Amino acid sequence: MILLGFIALATLAATGTKQLRYSAAAFLLVALAATWISTGVASLAQVAVTGCSGLVAAALLFVAASDARYGEEPGWRVWLATAFAATATSAGFAALRTVSAETPQLPLFGGDPTGVTVQVAAFWLLASGAAILLTARTAVRMSLGAVLMITGVQLLVRLVTGSSLALTLLFAWLEVVVALVGAFLIINERAAIDL
Amino acid sequence: MNAIEAIALLGGAALAAFGLRKRVWLVALLSLAAIGTAIWLIAAADVDSTGAVLELTFRLSALARMASLVVLAILALLVLDVWLGEPAYNFFPVALAVGGSAVAVLTLGTPLAIYGALIVALLIPVGSFTFQVHRNRSVEAAVRHFAFVALGGSLGIASLALAASLPKDQPATTFVLLAVILVVAFALKLAAIPFHTHAALLVSEAPAASLALYFGVLVPTTFIAFAEILVLSGLLPAIVQVQRVQDLLLGIGLLSAIGGALLATGALELRRLVVYGVISNLGAALVGIATLSGPGIVGAVAIMLVSGACATQQLLAAGTLERRAAGGRPSARTAPLAALAFVVGGAGMIGIPPLVGFPGRFFVELIAYAFSGGIGTALVVAALLLLIAQLRAGIALFGDVGGSPIRIEPRPVAGLVGALIFAALLLGGVIPDSFLKPIAAFADEFLKAINPL
Repeated sequence: MILLGFIALATLAATGTKQLRYSAAAFLLVALAATWISTGVASLAQVAVTGCSGLVAAALLFVAASDARYGEEPGWRVWLATAFAATATSAGFAALRTVSAETPQLPLFGGDPTGVTVQVAAFWLLASGAAILLTARTAVRMSLGAVLMITGVQLLVRLVTGSSLALTLLFAWLEVVVALVGAFLIINERAAIDL
Repeated sequence: MNAIEAIALLGGAALAAFGLRKRVWLVALLSLAAIGTAIWLIAAADVDSTGAVLELTFRLSALARMASLVVLAILALLVLDVWLGEPAYNFFPVALAVGGSAVAVLTLGTPLAIYGALIVALLIPVGSFTFQVHRNRSVEAAVRHFAFVALGGSLGIASLALAASLPKDQPATTFVLLAVILVVAFALKLAAIPFHTHAALLVSEAPAASLALYFGVLVPTTFIAFAEILVLSGLLPAIVQVQRVQDLLLGIGLLSAIGGALLATGALELRRLVVYGVISNLGAALVGIATLSGPGIVGAVAIMLVSGACATQQLLAAGTLERRAAGGRPSARTAPLAALAFVVGGAGMIGIPPLVGFPGRFFVELIAYAFSGGIGTALVVAALLLLIAQLRAGIALFGDVGGSPIRIEPRPVAGLVGALIFAALLLGGVIPDSFLKPIAAFADEFLKAINPL
């Protein structure tokens, strides 16, 4: 439960800051917490692969920023994204809950084997990422929204019965490709503005 | 399995091409050699041969083999055009990586893996969309494409993952909701109307060869992936039981078919006409899938593959015509062979007999009439509008030829590519069985998935 709250706060930090480097650092916290929360439903190898992809994605965005000031002012978009994420997460969990229908015993800290916290975290990340993507003006926030959504997707894939290391590897690569393309666009966008 | 070797070869070649990308002639030769070898590997493989990497299964079905060969052949022609006609060093590694990803999408056997590979394939061309970033809005167009793919891709994978982890005793509405999300997610990636705004910006800002890579290679691959995912995900029986998803597919399909054709009719630029033509054909193909019938599915896949080839032919020709016009109005006077390739490509896009585009369009329109008179009429109206749009473009290109000297292009690459594609379309029209049989085999699998008993 504490990890869920941590993911929510770290997502808010990533969404609320103007500087891309701070957003990248906050995203790293989101990725690590999301990795930790899935330890109850994933093998050690899967957890390691997902953690590494989160680290690489955050590093790519951090490097793409070039300097500490570069970013996109979020303004009112933070509140819209947060309100949308909160509403969509609860609605999604009520309508599409695929894990145990019984009231689970949720641990205060760490992953839960029933997968309830994993699914809530996934819905939160997907909703937050979608809201950021839809309201973003530049590649900075679009890249952030995209990597948040892919992190949510990785959590949902983890809940699929028989989810293999191969799928984990594939989606880890997907996260890296998304971050790489996002970083490429950020650099090009900045070049276009500077010229 | 040969398909896995082909994917590995194209991936390795893409990395090598990235390292050598500044030496255009070397990287172009490397790209052609890699694509040629991949074509040979896939052509030599047995139909339905299988393989696995880690725990991911691959299967080279008849459709996967034919579609892979078509996609790789189009890529080879694109590489040739970029090398000789419009050198852009970023294009070669992108084309190779797209080739490897597209073959992976067509041969993977797990819906989630297909979807993951598809998103990778759709993101890679961003590297070739941007050029001379301070002179145009190509970055903005690429950013918008990135956002649409990331949004649609994440929502689609999430819906598939949820569908795969659902217990069996779920209410039908849950499956319907997931199927609706999946359909909308694919509509975002396919640029179906009303989700086409990113494509509209790409059309005016991205290089012609990159547009051809997207609309000629990736849109048909995405469409086939959509059909395959429907078969493998187990959502089809739920879609059949609850008609709303079928209605949604029909609605998006009809809107795209009519809307795309109307936009094509009013298009002032050649490349815009081509892209709206593809969107219109995509709409017709979606209607074919929505009928959930054998002829509809065969026609839909056939329309998309032919549209991909014709879009490549027309976009490359449009690029040449624009370059030769040097800011003026494109005309056959300055690039007669490219203009001819454009007009002939238009004939293929509409599905005029005896070209191979005809059977697919005929099947879809026939089954659409059987489904509902209104839907059938709408598709015929869309085809007529496309015909008017193509005729208008042809007249505009050749209208001012009389009385002024014609200058043949010094490097008629677009004309050569157009001739090769036209010959392939004509050959396919003369012996349609070789083209339609693999699609029919897939339609059988689709129908079995609808009613497994």
